[in-house]
Amino acid sequence: MENTSTYHLQADELDALFAHLEEQYLVYAPVRIPSGGRYAQTDSVLYRPVHRYEDIEYRERSTYPMKEVLTPITQTLFYFTEDQYQESKPPAKDLLIFGRACDINAIRIQDQIYLLNGGVEDPFYKRVRDRAKFVLMECAQQFEGCFCCSVGANVTDMHAMAFSFGERDAQIEVSDEAFRDYFSQAKPSDYSIRFPEENELKVNYPVIDRMDMANRLKDHPMWREFDDRCIACGSCTVACSTCTCFESTDIVYTQNAHIGERRRTCSSCMVGGFDQMAGGQCFRNKTSEKYRYKILHKVYGHDARFHTGPMCVGCGRCSARCPELISYPATLNKLSRAIEEIQPEEVAHHA
Amino acid sequence: MVEDCNIKQMQNNCYRQSKVPDEFMLQLRVPGALIDAKWLDVIQHICQTWGNGSFHLGTRQTLNAPGIKAQNIPSVNDYIEPYLKAVECDLCNVQMETRNGYPYIAPRNIMACIGSVHCINANINTQNISHKLEKEIYPNPYHIKISVSGCPNDCAKAHFQDLGIVGCTRPIYDMDRCIGCGACVRKCEKAATRVLSLNDKHKVSKDACCCVGCGECVTACPTGAWKRPNRIFYRIILGGRTGKQCPRMGKLFANWLTEDSLLGMMRNWPKFSDWVLGGKPVYIHGGHLIDRAGYQRFKEFMLDGVTLNPEAIIAESVNWAETEYRSNIHVKPLSKHQTVK
Repeated sequence: MENTSTYHLQADELDALFAHLEEQYLVYAPVRIPSGGRYAQTDSVLYRPVHRYEDIEYRERSTYPMKEVLTPITQTLFYFTEDQYQESKPPAKDLLIFGRACDINAIRIQDQIYLLNGGVEDPFYKRVRDRAKFVLMECAQQFEGCFCCSVGANVTDMHAMAFSFGERDAQIEVSDEAFRDYFSQAKPSDYSIRFPEENELKVNYPVIDRMDMANRLKDHPMWREFDDRCIACGSCTVACSTCTCFESTDIVYTQNAHIGERRRTCSSCMVGGFDQMAGGQCFRNKTSEKYRYKILHKVYGHDARFHTGPMCVGCGRCSARCPELISYPATLNKLSRAIEEIQPEEVAHHA
Repeated sequence: MVEDCNIKQMQNNCYRQSKVPDEFMLQLRVPGALIDAKWLDVIQHICQTWGNGSFHLGTRQTLNAPGIKAQNIPSVNDYIEPYLKAVECDLCNVQMETRNGYPYIAPRNIMACIGSVHCINANINTQNISHKLEKEIYPNPYHIKISVSGCPNDCAKAHFQDLGIVGCTRPIYDMDRCIGCGACVRKCEKAATRVLSLNDKHKVSKDACCCVGCGECVTACPTGAWKRPNRIFYRIILGGRTGKQCPRMGKLFANWLTEDSLLGMMRNWPKFSDWVLGGKPVYIHGGHLIDRAGYQRFKEFMLDGVTLNPEAIIAESVNWAETEYRSNIHVKPLSKHQTVK
């Protein structure tokens, strides 16, 4: 890459770097949470503020995605009294967020929903997004179910710096001028950061280019198995790097019905009540319908609006978190076969 | 001629008398019920070389070789020495002589479910605690039946042991990670004690008092809002038993014990047995010793010198509910009472 410089830092220099960065930035990165996993004696890896290089868990894919830094699962937007309101505090400092190429590419999709959807910018997203910079985490190894290369999410240029992680040292490529000063004393290196070039898992991501096909796929029998297999828990969408759905709730404080707050809480199209309308009607009652909606939205719905391809960065977290071992890539393969089935019928029909 | 056999001594060495006068069944202990599969070759060799060629899975998870002739017992004891050393001495840290087979049968094999090495519901590694318990109770001449279940589903039947251990967790709730989906609420209602509810803030409220400590909420949560703490906790179910007189299901004796509290109490078991039986070990199980001593004396012995963790709670009294195969089975002349005077 042009105008980049690379440096090689040892552990003590890295800690000094982090201390220096913290003067201006809240630094977020994946952190190991002992016993945080779904099952006993398993850990989780979550995004947390970090203070030292060794706080970062780089050996494993984070259990939950980077999006939680910009859009926390629960977020108070503003507080209200009888006739006044006060916005919740924006972050105290700028944000510096560590993520892999897939994670950073997912931000483009988050941006589409929060900033480019219907011509309205979401101020609560914008106020953190404008102050966020990203640090690329080099993928020295791949993780179970990664397929970033199949959806073009393996490469990015949205990062200000890139880290290649070692036990007690790191190679750091600096591409954003604003960070050059942090490395004035650092030892230059000729290391070059690599992006993943090929995944073990290859997914032929289906393409649905017209609504007619999407509608015909709705009735395809391929979805039926998920009535029995999927428990509609929403683990996949919470773990998804690109899902953005939330609900807004006014919470009234117990001791005074005139005071409260408006909260934004992560939601999921897989969870019951998501599509409930005033009056109680729901449109997707069967689990297979919920699952179908989720998949077709990733493959078709998002692309139909933004024309930017899959709403997916191939991070593999949805399958990794599914308690029922439903593989999203396997579903995509079934979807591709269903499309192939329908196409010749249509040709015959039109002939 | 029938061979002269001291069947009490042989039973004590884990060779059980059979219908055939000089044939016995070896019972190999497997504390925690998980061992290297290489030992299957050993039990197979015993069954085929000295036994009658059949193999029995013991009801207490022992590996049993039926049909061993009395005269072959010394050879079998030689052959099983490496197993005893590996499983009792190395795995469980038990200090014992291994040259002449097992020294005692009285503390029965510590049964366990597979636990967290495999099971998605387990809260604890059942083998680890079984091995530590084995060190506390073996070898010694006092009879006790212990099992370890990885979670309150109690697949290892802690409710039918003298002391049944159940691995529990006290989940921590991170309200900010909760999306109010109700998965934990539904799971708790369906699988556990219905202690969770969705509140008017779209978050979850918990009746902590009635939580059974199963961790189903953690498993059900899509966001990791429920999390197991770093520490694990134990419950002891007391005095369960089968039998021909007055079988009964065990009752809750102690809850939310840490490992130190649990092991501290278990260390007192031989002292209690010794006191009840006046230093004369006989073939009588732990639940009956508690009956003879009375629960209050039992409790005093077990808690002696133990500093309980702050969360621990202990039954002040126990209301047994027995199946009396003969009604009023406990009503008899004073002279026949066996309670400790």
